[in-house]
Amino acid sequence: MKTKYIFLLTVLLSVVWSCDEPITLDTSSSKGLVVIEGMVTNTDTRNFVKVTRSRSFYETGKTERITDALVTISDSEGGFVTLTHNPTNQPEAEGYYYATGDFSGVIGRTYSLRVEIGGEVYEAEDELLPVTEIDSLTQRQTTDEEAIEDFGPGPVYEVLLFANEPQDRQDQYLFKFFKNDSLVKDSQTDVYFVDDNLLGEEIDDVELAGYYNPDDLVRAEMYSLTPEAFIYYSDLSNLINSDGGMFSPPPANPRTNLSNGAFGFFQASAVATKEITIVNED
Amino acid sequence: MQRTLMLLGLFFCCIAAAKAQEKYTLNGYVRAASSGEELIGVTVYVKEKSNGVISNPYGFYSITLPKGEYTITYSYIGFTTKERVITLDKNIELNVELEDEFTDLEEVVVTSEREDVNVSSIQMSKNELNVEQVKKLPALFGEPDIIKSIQMMPGVISAGEGTSAFFVRGGSADQNLILIDEAPVYDPSHLFGLFSVFNADVIKDSELYKGGIPARFGGRLSSILEVRTKDGNNKEFGGEAGIGTLASSIMVEGPIKKDVSSYIISARRSYVDLFMKAANQDNMVYFYDVNAKMNWRANNNNRFFLSLYAGRDDVSIGDDFGFDWGNKTATFRWNHLFNDKLFANTSLVASTFDYGLGSSDQAAAFDWDSKLVEYSFKEDLNYFFNPNLSLDFGYQGTYRIFEPGKIDAGESSFFSDSELNKEYALDNSLYAGMEHKLSEKLSLQYGARLSVFQNVGKQTVYEYEDPQDNINPTRIDSTTYGALENIKTYVNLEPRFAMRYLLNDVASLKASYNRMVQNTHLVSSGTVPVPFNTWVPSSTFLKPQLADQYALGYFRDLQNNAYSISVEGFYKRFQNVTDFADNAQIFFNEDLVTEFRQGKSEAYGAEVMVQKKQGKLNGFLSYTWSKVERTTPGVNQGKPFLANHDRRHSLNLVATYDYSEKWVFGGSFTYATGRPITLPTGSYEYGDGYLPDVITERNGYKLPDFNRLDLSATLYPQKNKDRNYKTSWVFSLYNAYSQKNPFTIYTRVTEDDDGNVVGDGTEKEARLIYLFPILPSVTFNIEF
Repeated sequence: MKTKYIFLLTVLLSVVWSCDEPITLDTSSSKGLVVIEGMVTNTDTRNFVKVTRSRSFYETGKTERITDALVTISDSEGGFVTLTHNPTNQPEAEGYYYATGDFSGVIGRTYSLRVEIGGEVYEAEDELLPVTEIDSLTQRQTTDEEAIEDFGPGPVYEVLLFANEPQDRQDQYLFKFFKNDSLVKDSQTDVYFVDDNLLGEEIDDVELAGYYNPDDLVRAEMYSLTPEAFIYYSDLSNLINSDGGMFSPPPANPRTNLSNGAFGFFQASAVATKEITIVNED
Repeated sequence: MQRTLMLLGLFFCCIAAAKAQEKYTLNGYVRAASSGEELIGVTVYVKEKSNGVISNPYGFYSITLPKGEYTITYSYIGFTTKERVITLDKNIELNVELEDEFTDLEEVVVTSEREDVNVSSIQMSKNELNVEQVKKLPALFGEPDIIKSIQMMPGVISAGEGTSAFFVRGGSADQNLILIDEAPVYDPSHLFGLFSVFNADVIKDSELYKGGIPARFGGRLSSILEVRTKDGNNKEFGGEAGIGTLASSIMVEGPIKKDVSSYIISARRSYVDLFMKAANQDNMVYFYDVNAKMNWRANNNNRFFLSLYAGRDDVSIGDDFGFDWGNKTATFRWNHLFNDKLFANTSLVASTFDYGLGSSDQAAAFDWDSKLVEYSFKEDLNYFFNPNLSLDFGYQGTYRIFEPGKIDAGESSFFSDSELNKEYALDNSLYAGMEHKLSEKLSLQYGARLSVFQNVGKQTVYEYEDPQDNINPTRIDSTTYGALENIKTYVNLEPRFAMRYLLNDVASLKASYNRMVQNTHLVSSGTVPVPFNTWVPSSTFLKPQLADQYALGYFRDLQNNAYSISVEGFYKRFQNVTDFADNAQIFFNEDLVTEFRQGKSEAYGAEVMVQKKQGKLNGFLSYTWSKVERTTPGVNQGKPFLANHDRRHSLNLVATYDYSEKWVFGGSFTYATGRPITLPTGSYEYGDGYLPDVITERNGYKLPDFNRLDLSATLYPQKNKDRNYKTSWVFSLYNAYSQKNPFTIYTRVTEDDDGNVVGDGTEKEARLIYLFPILPSVTFNIEF
């Protein structure tokens, strides 16, 4: 949350006064670097490892998928699982590796990822920390005129989150919001993450991203993060929101737990979810 | 006297032996006849001796000569030279008033003396700003701004238009000591740098020292910008008011008691709100400045000044989010003449900079404040041995309180109250500098400054397992220090040396060396500091920054001083330059010390300046070639990289033309190589539709070059002659040919004009931000 504020400001500063237009970059190309996105959660559904390559700046479409990697995950209690590339053989799951049997993470365990691509090995580990429960979600009719215009006609609602933040431990969280099972972000580059350094115990009335209409099914997901994962998301947010180094720091690659120069991150998280269906109060 | 020097522990080898011949001292103040303002840098020349002195920053001069009859001339640019014949058979006190050249057009005195400070002065690498000229030059939104003129001086680089940051000879923006009436200003920007805090109405004089920095200055590595405000007219009441496109100002001045005491008060406020694109929303932004000054001449030996400044910016976005920042300074000065050779300036200075962020949104209500306060005591003494030898020496003691951040959470807010560790520092310096004319041709300036810096309690200092580990900072021990208890002391000696060799009447060679030390560090990792930056003292984790600079220059006057030319080269080496780790989290970080990285930097360059100070056409041309590289362990994989403010070429041309009594025209042109920028070399997919860039090299690319032409015309209506007030209109055209000058480049997933992602969201684009197209503006001024 704190990094969000400073970026909101710097972006605002440079944008309020200025005009901008596209420019063609003539930079060298860092094509083909290994990118790994790994996720182990304490749920059955959110576990995967995605292995891809970077592309040159102006390429479009999906990035190159690596389909022949050897991917394994082990845990601190001796658990071990080999992941299979695209077991259901769906085109959109190309580059994704899943455990074929039942697999979910356990709070308190440390997970290790090993990815081998053509003899090169990339490794990382992350601890699966407990998450704080979401007490409730409530709806409130918005007074934001722009939102009413964009999401009307009819009543437009914002959704508020309530939770009790434990004060006796250090926590970091990542949030994801869904409207009828599709991801919601206020802006394409928004990353919703926070640490509890400045948080009190009572977390009340925190607005979710997005605006909602009656009958929308709204889901909030809260992921626990290790400090390393928090730093990764913070760096990622800084990078994708950078103003090019005028007011903000010079853009830099996010710090990662992956070895051997791979981009991306291997994340272990506990997940708390809450749902609400918007009712028409009018 | 001698004992004081010994106490200072400094070396002086060349104190001239007293001669048997009887000697007397001529001293006094040089003032402007119209306003009673003291004039700084007036040449006081003794014809018979072909020798002279220059009035000091308080307008005082003192010259000791053998008994005899002398012809003394007082000359100063913009004023009519005055000549006095004096029989020096006792000590004489002589206050001189010089007439303004413009008010006295009929009586033009042709001066036989040279106004050749450029060639004859020992000081090199110094630029003076003529505020009257700055006012006639085109300005952004018609608001005259001395910092924008500073950015056009040789050896000075700007980061781009619309910023108040300036970079001197390879130094970063926080390495400039900016003084207003001797009080430091920590953030000179209004509206994020669009304007500076200096209101041109009250500025009397301003000087930028880039090299060969005299021993009386210290505390920053790269430059000293000294801005002095007017004392206030002690002859008659008067004032000025200006109505501009963006801001309006008013200034009044006058005697409290004629010739004895006076005051000046000025205020300026913006109405930028109207100009924001987002003006139709609930956004608000404004700034103001207030300057006030009083002075009292108790008698010729005692003068007192009180100078105050306060300025603030206030921005609010929507209903519930806002931020503000500002400086306040106060200076109390006592000028005292112990005797006709010893001049003392005693100052008490206070300065504070603070910023705040706040949200009144119920759930996320908070109030954040960060502050820096400093109190300083300064004793500066000038001792004039004889026309060939004078000594500046003194002491400065400063106490600083750093409050990096404090959060007051609202009652129903999900934030909790929190405060970062305060830090305290004591900074003591002693200095002495000798100005010594060895012969007609050779003059030296030599001295040193001893800086004793202490980071003191009350504070709890943590020991880290690895003080460079910013991912998992681990505190392993802590030590708590009591109030004023020493935590860490740094002692540094800063030698200063300068020499001038006259090649002939119109040309000289100059050389200088200086070492500078900086113990306050700006926590900022962008190119341009934003006001939400904190300063921290040298500490266990941060060593003092050091810079050594060597400079060599050739100075030449042409056509009886109509033109002055200077060519300078410099080499500068920095040690312990404060930088930040890649991805540093510098905002409210309790373990901020783990983000500090200190490295080396090297800068060199050449500068040319051609100035024309006489005639109808005035102005200057400046050109700088320079390069600055940094090497910081932990940044850019430890490999050297170009500093953010490296710009290979920088060219500026500034001119004003007095076409008639009615019209004055002004113009300025700027060309500079684009500044270095870090650009992506690729991108990849991650998470929920993010397309982060691949970064390979810090500052590996350059922005496109910058060029801009500004024009202005000032109209003094004919009717002025018959009125007891004078009006003028300044018409300004900023960016006359509407060049799209690059400010920065950022990247994003390609969006259409409505902000919707284009296609499947896999296409990226780079966008160039440019600030100002052609911008006309009008300012109406009235002087009464």
